[in-house]
Amino acid sequence: MLARYMRKVYTSLATHIYDIPSRMMALMLLSMFTLLPFIRFEVTLISTLIEANFIAIFAASWDLLFRAGQVSLGHALFYGMGGYTTAILFKYLGWPIWITIPISMLVNAALALIIGIPCLRLKGPYLALVTMAFPLVTLGLIKGPFSSVTGGEIGIYGLPSLFPRELIKSPLDRVMAEYYLTLTLMMFCSIILYKIAYSKTGMVFVSILDDELASKACGINVTKYKLMAFAISGFFASLAGCIHAHRINVVNPPMFGVNISLIPLIAAVLGGLGTIYGPFVGTYIYYILDRYILTILIPMHKWTFYNVEWGQVKPIIFTLIVIVFIIKWPRGIGRGIVEKLEDLEKPREIEEIEKEKSKKHEKS
Amino acid sequence: MINEIIVNGFLNGLIYALLSLGFTLIYGYSGLLNLAHGAFFVIGAYIFSSLASLLYLSMIFGHSYLPVTISLILTPLLTGLIGAAYYKVTLSPLIGDELSILIVSSSACIIFQQILWLIFGSVKAMQFSVPPIVEGNTSILGVHVSNNLLVSAALSTVLFILMSLFISKTKIGRSMKALSQDVEAAMLMGVNRERIYTLTVFLSGVLASLGGIFITCSTSRFTSVYGWLEPLAISYAIVILGGIGNIIGTIFGGLLFGYATTIVSRLFPRGGALVPAVPFFILIFILIIRPKGLLGKRVEME
Repeated sequence: MLARYMRKVYTSLATHIYDIPSRMMALMLLSMFTLLPFIRFEVTLISTLIEANFIAIFAASWDLLFRAGQVSLGHALFYGMGGYTTAILFKYLGWPIWITIPISMLVNAALALIIGIPCLRLKGPYLALVTMAFPLVTLGLIKGPFSSVTGGEIGIYGLPSLFPRELIKSPLDRVMAEYYLTLTLMMFCSIILYKIAYSKTGMVFVSILDDELASKACGINVTKYKLMAFAISGFFASLAGCIHAHRINVVNPPMFGVNISLIPLIAAVLGGLGTIYGPFVGTYIYYILDRYILTILIPMHKWTFYNVEWGQVKPIIFTLIVIVFIIKWPRGIGRGIVEKLEDLEKPREIEEIEKEKSKKHEKS
Repeated sequence: MINEIIVNGFLNGLIYALLSLGFTLIYGYSGLLNLAHGAFFVIGAYIFSSLASLLYLSMIFGHSYLPVTISLILTPLLTGLIGAAYYKVTLSPLIGDELSILIVSSSACIIFQQILWLIFGSVKAMQFSVPPIVEGNTSILGVHVSNNLLVSAALSTVLFILMSLFISKTKIGRSMKALSQDVEAAMLMGVNRERIYTLTVFLSGVLASLGGIFITCSTSRFTSVYGWLEPLAISYAIVILGGIGNIIGTIFGGLLFGYATTIVSRLFPRGGALVPAVPFFILIFILIIRPKGLLGKRVEME
């Protein structure tokens, strides 16, 4: 019985993962991330990666919406609203996090539907603008008229942690637990999002991205699929907000900021737009570059030059690197790697191989 | 109360319209969605204040209107040159790729903001207060209005007339219009796209910095280096209100926006916190109800 089961697992691994180089690469990267705390335990690196883990879900949810042809510049709305919903549910009803987080995700899916309805008429830059406006309007409402509920500028404090102090006492252990929790969540969400994006529904999304009129003419209910994309995207994006809120135990207005809306864009463009795996690659590049390489590996905190601090110079260098990446590789790094790997397994013509051989001979 | 709203809304609206005129030019005539427009606003305000105070302090011209006038002429030119250089480096290799332009121009905002911080710093910048263009007050309809606001509104009206004449009468302006209608046909007729786009960005930088100078002068409000989002949102809302690439629509949108902000800040309880959200409210409503803008022609929503 067990042997048969093992064999089944082995054959499925061999056919679905081992034979496809890009999936093999993803598996290797995942196992590397799993083993990383045992190889090199640095609290700064691990906490950077924790943040990257849930921001990767956020970026991938943005990318799924992009695959349906909807460029959103205001994804911070779901991020912030996710955090605020759990916080308000905790503050006023006192529910535990394993109830508030799923409820918050569902609420945000509904919110995404409500926002999606007026956005159905809009396209391109107009859509980007309206979606950019939503979080900022919400920000105004939270700071202004609803400040008695939401705590105004200060936000809501004292949220419960992901792992309570009584359960895991040592802080280092708690960091490890958070790391593995976010890693598994990231794995699950990436598999679900990838499956959705490359299923029949996902193909319909791509058809809307490519040509909305043509897909309408084929009898596809474009409205339904666009709203579906909005709901799925809001659902997963709010998960990231929830985890962020419970990790630092605070929700505050900066969660709606423009820079939060820009992170998934930058991550997706760095990794490869509309590929789902692209934003994951992009987010890790973004976070490791910004939070680890430029802050920890280059020890410049004490460096000053005429009162110029490294903290002020760092964003310039980081954005310059991002701009260079975008101008140099407009198709994305993740997509480039995957296409290179897929080229490896393509059958080649004999003449081509002989040409390469003769070139090598010439060189030697 | 009503008099106050009418006068203040009108004068502020004209200045807001000037700020968004540059955005209409760059977005309507060259199709580049330049999010760094707000950064030029901030750059203009900073260069003007530092230049004017330096000239005052150095006492070359004595205490006359000369330092302010000189910096009023020099600042837009400098900002325009910065804008042209920015276009050459970042936007010109990306023409046609809207999403990349969005990202690159918003990252450029961050770069400009940090560079301003490096030059002026948070503490040092407080030493420069924005000097007024003209001093004193006048009363119109029983409302005390600073001469500053009046002069800025008058100057923006003059600039409006000049810009519309420039676009409709000169050859460069007409080639800008031609490029906005059909890029390939215009290029076949011998229009140099690169040169015209650079000039458009230059002009939009000039207008944005003038808007920055006038707004910061008349409200005597200190602009933080991080304050690029609000002017950007304001100009975007006004441009969408009036229809993209429509100069008369821009004036109309600016006035409407000026009235909207004054009404919200005066009449609503806790309205001060809501003022930054006003442009976004307008944006959402306009784009959902009438996406082509209030005065806009029928446009393909592509």
